[in-house]
Amino acid sequence: MTSNGFDHGKRGIGVRNHQLILPSVVCSTHISRRIASAVGALSFSHQHGCGIIGADVAGIEDFFGALANHPNVSSCLIVSLGCETIQGQELGARLASANVSTKYQIIQDSGGVEATVSAGILAARHLQESYPPVKAAFGNITVGIDLCRESAQIAELIAGLSEVGVETIVARQGKSSAENFSQLMLAKAHVILSFPSPDQPASGFPLIPVINVASESSLHQGIVADFDLAHESTIEATISRIMEVADAQATIAEMNGTGEILAPRLVRST
Amino acid sequence: MSHSPIRAYLRPNGSWGLRNHVLVLPLHSALSSSARAIEDACPGAVAITHDWSGEVDGDLQRIIRILAGFASNPNNFATIFLSLGSANEEEIIAQAENLGLANVVHLSLPHIGSTKLLIDVGIREASDLLVRAHEQIRIEAPWSAIVLGLECGGSDALSGITANPALGVASDRLVELGAMSVLGETTEILGAEHLLAARAITQDIGQRIIETVARYEKSINYEGIDLRGAQPSRGNIEGGLSTLEEKSLGAAKKAGNAQLSGVLEYAEIPPARGLYFMDTPGHDIEQLTGYAAGHINIVVFTTGRGTPTGSAIMPVIKVATNSPMAMKLSDLIDLDAGSIADGMETLAEVGTRIFDEIIRIANGCETKAEISGNHEFALSRMYKTIVSYDA
Repeated sequence: MTSNGFDHGKRGIGVRNHQLILPSVVCSTHISRRIASAVGALSFSHQHGCGIIGADVAGIEDFFGALANHPNVSSCLIVSLGCETIQGQELGARLASANVSTKYQIIQDSGGVEATVSAGILAARHLQESYPPVKAAFGNITVGIDLCRESAQIAELIAGLSEVGVETIVARQGKSSAENFSQLMLAKAHVILSFPSPDQPASGFPLIPVINVASESSLHQGIVADFDLAHESTIEATISRIMEVADAQATIAEMNGTGEILAPRLVRST
Repeated sequence: MSHSPIRAYLRPNGSWGLRNHVLVLPLHSALSSSARAIEDACPGAVAITHDWSGEVDGDLQRIIRILAGFASNPNNFATIFLSLGSANEEEIIAQAENLGLANVVHLSLPHIGSTKLLIDVGIREASDLLVRAHEQIRIEAPWSAIVLGLECGGSDALSGITANPALGVASDRLVELGAMSVLGETTEILGAEHLLAARAITQDIGQRIIETVARYEKSINYEGIDLRGAQPSRGNIEGGLSTLEEKSLGAAKKAGNAQLSGVLEYAEIPPARGLYFMDTPGHDIEQLTGYAAGHINIVVFTTGRGTPTGSAIMPVIKVATNSPMAMKLSDLIDLDAGSIADGMETLAEVGTRIFDEIIRIANGCETKAEISGNHEFALSRMYKTIVSYDA
């Protein structure tokens, strides 16, 4: 079992030590990205946080909360505009009270773009200093399996992983790998093993290393270099790859920086 | 008609660009990070990212139109498409060409072989196109070269008194001179649609605006949800707005008093000079995307609370409704209309300042959002992106 885990306190033990700069609304995604690139943290673009109604208000808040509290996250800075439907201040305050390594920064209270970027960089660096990496061995990795296509090996693979003490969660209901990834993130998967549809490319998810397994489709065979595991890799090779990735080896999606997030949405935007 | 001071880029199909961008457009969400890597490596190139993974659902035709329209906006000198080579992606590129995009580079991931190589080839192509873009020059252009988008976001109690009616003054003057001006945000004319309908050049157009608003409200109510849960937003309420109707009455003032020449679907291109209404969400970024896809080439965005919002391809001029915010957030506000409330300037005076600023920015001066590099993107969807929260 891997000894290269990181103790992330209340979030649990993670296989990565990512600081997350979380935009609470689409309007703060660009500023979040600038802060993240200045301090070596992770951020991502999304189009949510405003103009949402009905079930999506709670849905998006829970989703952002789950991202901020994922075990692979060391600390989190929420960047809010201030006037969005999801009030960044409240989301920030709630998540900060749940976990001391979460802070928030509000653009409309910070004096503009550059002031927010500067203050955000300071806050992110302060978090990094306050919460340095703490190595921890751990015994129960959870592997999320994105099954956008059937794999004959899946039962055997799950049994094999179980034998070495790895828990598995399977997501197969989503319309796409992106939707399954979101489900697996909510279930706190440490690593994702993805079997994309034959007509879909290899893909990734910020925060969680994604191991892509190729099919024999012409698309996948045309871009085999984007896949970590070839079509019909053995169970042993697959398990060994999962262990290597859990033990800090980067996946191809991580090396390429591939990883978008599909946040849930049930109702059209207003 | 007075002589136009506008200098712009003439595109082969006769349209006018106020900018000369090399755009990198991923046609699948998994290609977004590659587009961003190319943008980061090529100063001067712009990229967007999005979360569409080629899903074939009720939104397919809408998304094809958005991406094709965005790619072919006259502010783009060229667009580099990153694709997986699917039929729907081919359709987007074909539509963009039909809409006037002259310089197309299509990079297909499976043809190139890997994401790493795709980024390398993309950087090379973008660098070549940037050299060609720099060879283009601005020439004298008519007033019709201006296709203005009107927008408000983070509104407050002063929006309908200062910035919005002042923008209306500038819009009226441009429309009279021969430009196009487009009002959007169906959410935010709800309750004021009868006033716009009364200004329509024909009864049919007036009827259409009433129907568009009704259709919109119905599309929200289908799950028993009241739009007023999001509108006015909590930020609006804190800013002093009481109801959606009050917000709408103020929002509609951005379109001045000109006659309404037509109603456009989301991302539809206005056909001729005049004032139009486009059916867009009130979500600022989705609205901006619809405007860009409808070939609007410059936007004036009034705001009470202040927002850094920008577009990858359209200059977005930010006008503050109140002076305290304009001072506090000075690096994201281009122009302060709060002086009207203070009695320091008249509506007409601020309207003239906005008009002059539109010309200055149209001619190549940069907005605050362009200087800070701030640009966001959002696809407007009518259908759900997930099966359910319990999946």
